[in-house]
Amino acid sequence: MRDSIQRRLIATVVLFQSLLTVSLVLVGVSDTFWRLLSTLDTSMQAHAMSVAALVRYTEDATGNVYFDDTLLPSSIDPNHPDLFAVWADRSGLVARSDNWPQGLEIPSVPNHHWNFEWNGVPYHALRVSPVPILDREEGKAFRPQTLRIFYAAPTIRLRTQVRRAGAFIALAGMLLLAVTVLLALRGIRRGLRPLQNLAQEAARVSAQNWELRLPEEVSQIKELRPVTQSMKQMLERLQRSFEQQRQFLGNAAHELKTPVAVMKSTLQSLVQRPRTADEYRTGIQQSLEDLERLEQLLQWMLRLARAEQWAHGALRRDLEVIDINATCEEAIDRIRNLAQSRNTTIHLSTNGPVPFRADPEDLQLVWANLLENAVRYSPEGGSVEVAVTRNDGGPPCIVFQDHGQGIPPHDLHHVFERFYRGDRSRTRATGGFGLGLAIAKALVEAYGGTISAESEPGRGTRMTVQLPSTGRN
Amino acid sequence: MRVLIIEDEPRLAENVARTLRETAGYAVDVAADGQEGLFLAESNTYDAVLLDLMLPKLDGMQVLKRIRESGQHTPVLVLTARDDKESVVALLNAGADDYLTKPFDLGELLARTKALIRRGKGQPSPVLTIGDLQLNTVDRSVQRAGRPITLTAMEYRVLEYLAHRPRAVVSKTELLEHLYDYNWEKFSNVIEVYISGLRRKLDQDSEQPLIRTLRGQGYVLQG
Repeated sequence: MRDSIQRRLIATVVLFQSLLTVSLVLVGVSDTFWRLLSTLDTSMQAHAMSVAALVRYTEDATGNVYFDDTLLPSSIDPNHPDLFAVWADRSGLVARSDNWPQGLEIPSVPNHHWNFEWNGVPYHALRVSPVPILDREEGKAFRPQTLRIFYAAPTIRLRTQVRRAGAFIALAGMLLLAVTVLLALRGIRRGLRPLQNLAQEAARVSAQNWELRLPEEVSQIKELRPVTQSMKQMLERLQRSFEQQRQFLGNAAHELKTPVAVMKSTLQSLVQRPRTADEYRTGIQQSLEDLERLEQLLQWMLRLARAEQWAHGALRRDLEVIDINATCEEAIDRIRNLAQSRNTTIHLSTNGPVPFRADPEDLQLVWANLLENAVRYSPEGGSVEVAVTRNDGGPPCIVFQDHGQGIPPHDLHHVFERFYRGDRSRTRATGGFGLGLAIAKALVEAYGGTISAESEPGRGTRMTVQLPSTGRN
Repeated sequence: MRVLIIEDEPRLAENVARTLRETAGYAVDVAADGQEGLFLAESNTYDAVLLDLMLPKLDGMQVLKRIRESGQHTPVLVLTARDDKESVVALLNAGADDYLTKPFDLGELLARTKALIRRGKGQPSPVLTIGDLQLNTVDRSVQRAGRPITLTAMEYRVLEYLAHRPRAVVSKTELLEHLYDYNWEKFSNVIEVYISGLRRKLDQDSEQPLIRTLRGQGYVLQG
């Protein structure tokens, strides 16, 4: 539970919002800076011109100049006085501010802006040249001079303003981020609510209640449809196998309880009152027979359980390569007594040895069960054909054909189900439990094969076993 | 009393039938499949039906439903291997009066069958009292005015049936039907013998006769 959709979405939102805030701050700060700087430039230009206006020609005809500092413009930043210097091209330095720093280098490029720092104070500087002297009287016979003006203003205030603007934008961005996260959280919670509802509904599903009821707000969400659909399918599959298990359990209980009930009633009625020795003998004999039947049933059930366990890979067994024909002969031998008692002949046909990797006991059991079924449902004196075929090393195919009354179509789907008996009275007479074919199917499937039944009522039944080419590893 | 057992396991049916005959003195018919069972149940009047659920030809549930659809009130005791809640509920809802899960105890089966028959005839107590006559259906003893009376098995069965229907006119045919299994026609003349034997033993020291004969109609047991 370390990762969550909510956390991921929030992280994405925070990341994007932070990037946005940072870029907003950058843009805002640089924009403010350039705008303030150009304003500063403009007013520095104006101040420089005001300073230039204070340069006057002397009254004589030399064309010399002097600086009239009575109308000196005030500094742009009252706390930090501006720096300026004025040079005339013939007279040299005309004036400079009182706070002129010694040794300040002034670049010689005309009309140039630059920044410098002096005594820890940052300045923006401007050089303007040539500037004509405004104080010009007509008719004066001297060559006019031009001025070169240097003007610098500290940028402390500008920087403070830029910083403030940046801080303001950043703060606004962060507030916006917080609001966005809150809204996103709310939105995500609301958006994920159908998931919670779905989980609640899913938690309500149990062995007693298989129905997954979908609230409207869940069924209407497109993204949840694959989830809900596969959940429903999974539930259906689970329910089916659960029902099968339950039915098996019910059938098994019934099959087990019947011989027990018979035995119990036999013994109880024996002790109800004094009986003759003959009656006791008969009762005990009957109980023994019932016990045998019970034992047989238990054995069948265990075989079935083992075959299924093995099919699901829960058991490990040692297998060997055997000939399928040999296992068929063994199986035929096993039910010889039954076949003889019903006067049924069994024909085995084959086109050569069929090697297969298996436990021979398993295959014998499968064949014996199929044969027993075929013999039981064949008329007295009938015949059963077993054909083992394998073409060019392909998968082995074993077919059992009888000529009995066949299986009605509505029973045919069910013959491999556990405890299924088409007609109970008849199977009771034939002595089956309805487990033989189920065991055969479980074993064949454990080897990766398939088993199928076709029947023509009145003509006979054909059981076909298809095995994989080599057997199980 | 006459009971029908519908059970496809022949030995179980035989053991139950034997117990009912020997211990309770009931007449018992056995059917080995649902169809036969339904036919017997519809063509005879039984005092109780013991019904297995898993039956060939017609399953027990269907037999039960058809018996109830035909309007018979005969109490039905179902013998089932399943004791889960759903199937028990389904059984009782289909009209069963009681159920026993296999493997069951024959003593319990007997007690439940007796109780069902008793309740089916509106008798809550196992000791039936008609006037000064007392008939205990548990140990099959009879007393009149505190004096124990010894009866033969058949006399007891006749009296038990009459005692279950006090003050009602019970015809000879009805008695025969409920005291013998499907061969009852053979015994049509013996009822008078048992009735007269009963009269002799019951009315020995009493001025008031318990069993009256209504000519051409039957017998009435009245205190």
